[in-house]
Amino acid sequence: MIAAPVNQLGSRIKAPILVVDDDENILDLVVMSLEITGYSTESARDGAEALEAVERGRPGLVLLDMRMPRLDGWGFARGLAERGIGDIPVVVMTAAHDARRWAEEIGADAYLEKPFDVHQLLDTVKRVLEERGG
Amino acid sequence: VTIEQVLQLLTLLPFVAIFLVVVREAVWRPYRTHVLIALFFSALALAVGIGWVFALLEAEQPRVVQAVTRTLAVALPYLLLRLVAEFAAVPRLLMAAAGIGLVVGVGIVFLFPDLPPLATAFIVAYFAVLQLYSAARFVGAARSEPGVTRRRMQAAAAGSVLLGATILVAGVRITIHDDGMLGELLLRLTLLGSGLAYLAGFAPPPLLRRAWQQPELQAFLQRVTRLPWVGDIATVLRGLEAGAASAFGADRASIMLWDPETGILWVPGDGPDGRGTEARPGQYIAGRAFAEGRPIFTLNAAADDPEHADVYRAFGARAVMSAPIVAGGERLGVLSVYGPRPPVFAEDDLDLVQLLADQAAVTLEARRLLEEAADLRAREEATRLRDDFLSAAAHDIKTPLTSIMGFAQILEIKAEADPDEPVNVDLLRRISSEAQRLRQLVDRLLDAGRGEVGGLVGKHREDVDLADLAREVCGRYRRPLHPCVVQADGRIPAAVDRIRMAQLIENLIQNGQKYSPDGGEITVRLWSEPGADGGVARISVEDRGIGIPAQDLPHVFDRFRRAGNIDDRRFAGMGLGLYICRMIAEQHGGRIWVESQVGAGSTFHVAVPRNGPMTEEEATG
Repeated sequence: MIAAPVNQLGSRIKAPILVVDDDENILDLVVMSLEITGYSTESARDGAEALEAVERGRPGLVLLDMRMPRLDGWGFARGLAERGIGDIPVVVMTAAHDARRWAEEIGADAYLEKPFDVHQLLDTVKRVLEERGG
Repeated sequence: VTIEQVLQLLTLLPFVAIFLVVVREAVWRPYRTHVLIALFFSALALAVGIGWVFALLEAEQPRVVQAVTRTLAVALPYLLLRLVAEFAAVPRLLMAAAGIGLVVGVGIVFLFPDLPPLATAFIVAYFAVLQLYSAARFVGAARSEPGVTRRRMQAAAAGSVLLGATILVAGVRITIHDDGMLGELLLRLTLLGSGLAYLAGFAPPPLLRRAWQQPELQAFLQRVTRLPWVGDIATVLRGLEAGAASAFGADRASIMLWDPETGILWVPGDGPDGRGTEARPGQYIAGRAFAEGRPIFTLNAAADDPEHADVYRAFGARAVMSAPIVAGGERLGVLSVYGPRPPVFAEDDLDLVQLLADQAAVTLEARRLLEEAADLRAREEATRLRDDFLSAAAHDIKTPLTSIMGFAQILEIKAEADPDEPVNVDLLRRISSEAQRLRQLVDRLLDAGRGEVGGLVGKHREDVDLADLAREVCGRYRRPLHPCVVQADGRIPAAVDRIRMAQLIENLIQNGQKYSPDGGEITVRLWSEPGADGGVARISVEDRGIGIPAQDLPHVFDRFRRAGNIDDRRFAGMGLGLYICRMIAEQHGGRIWVESQVGAGSTFHVAVPRNGPMTEEEATG
């Protein structure tokens, strides 16, 4: 059903990309965008679910919304650090005008300010993975 | 130079000084009081002066000169009594007796130049009785007068007693033919004492005046120190006026404020814009002082300003003193003090009025600065609220916009990759629903604007079962984390704007869910309360969320206002939801309020009349 990968880079990545957002539409949109490019994904609706997913298996990258119920983006970042896996690449996604500052606060690799388009999203993911993966 | 000559010169000096001051005053301001004071001290200075000249020449006074000197002396107590009558009621009989005494005295002086004991006794007695009477009246008047006037009255009393004593000593010396040094010394000392006391009373040096004004000024300052911080401008003015009236022991004082834009002086009152009496510069005594930029006074306001005579009479003002209130070269207004009778020592009072006006200027200026600071804070707060609102509005709009853009791009990518594949209807549906969400946001912004002008709720009312409506809305907001439960006893019918009522319930449910980040049931309760005119329909929406701090409770229904414990990072929002709820409730003729405890949750209450809002006829009938 899914079309041929547009970007062959995705197929070389073994670990899935974890997408965290409490907005169902954004979550599905990001997952879909990544999957039609050939990335494998996992999804979570808040920071707590995301930490559970991380415990099941280390993701290759996390796309992280900041304002979420239960456990927010800052809480999730603390959770990663507490588990000694703070080195997982993180890209912040937020509609707040403080996107850049928030990304710096949790030591994220990059940020995407909503509204972002699919190409922006994919370019950012690709760039961060290249920088981190070598 | 003998000690006697030094003493004689010393005795003369105060009288010359007083003479110069009071004559100048009488020429400058020729009121009757001033003229009488000038006459009294001219006679006194002349009598003392003639004596001094002949003593200096070591010559006997010729008979005629002696008679003139003595006539002047005999006239003194009569002139003093006339002066006393200016500020105290002197019995007519006494005044007449004093007149007769004066004629008899002058007759004695000319007919019996050798002053036989009986004649001397008459003159001394006449002198002593009137001087003591006047002194007593000065003391009496001093009691009812404030500050400087009181001290000056007391000094005048002392001067009168000592002058009486001087004549007594002179009379005794003449009777017993005493030429000794001791008698001369006693005579000179009482005269010197009288001169100094009169100097303090009628021509006090500025230093003495300031010292005597100090207590009044101090009392005034104590009264007005806190004024800039209290209440509204009317309260501040009342405080200043009360302080000024009390400093003078006057009946009342008033402050008019200058409005440079309209060029009018005004006092706070019941008129439009909270103004009472208004005056142009030059109008009333106050307006004259303001226009001339200097303190002025009138002993008879009704006569000096006949145009407004009835106004002055209406509040029993006879003497009026006004001084401009000026701060840093800028005219702020004018202070006036009203009294039922003329001031005895007008120039002092005028001085004090100006001092108080200057202090009033400081108070008004301080108040203005405080007001400016408060304005600035309010403007900063408004700017902050607007900035918060703009960033919240931007956030709320960006999220659905991201979905719409993204899904559309995915459809595009898919279509380009495989043009033959059927269009993904789910994505189209999502785009459509996110566009709806965007529209709802825009509607809410527009609603807030409409709510402001009262046009949020339409005129149209339909009979709606609110319980049914609540169930319908609740059904749309069932979330695993936030179950929505409706509790109602049967039907709750009410005549409302159905769409707006649904919006109100929806906003409250959304609000409850939003501020319960850890989950929790949202309970919507509905019931009817019996009462006049069909009673009231009640709705409450309860959550178990973060709650609202007590100090924010009065503000949560304000536009753009969000409670202080809302962490911007967790909860985006425009702060319009509850504001719109309030508009809907109020425009249904009802009201909305909230009970809350931080950490335990909030319960929002709505009460709307079941038969719709009362019409104006119903409200008044």
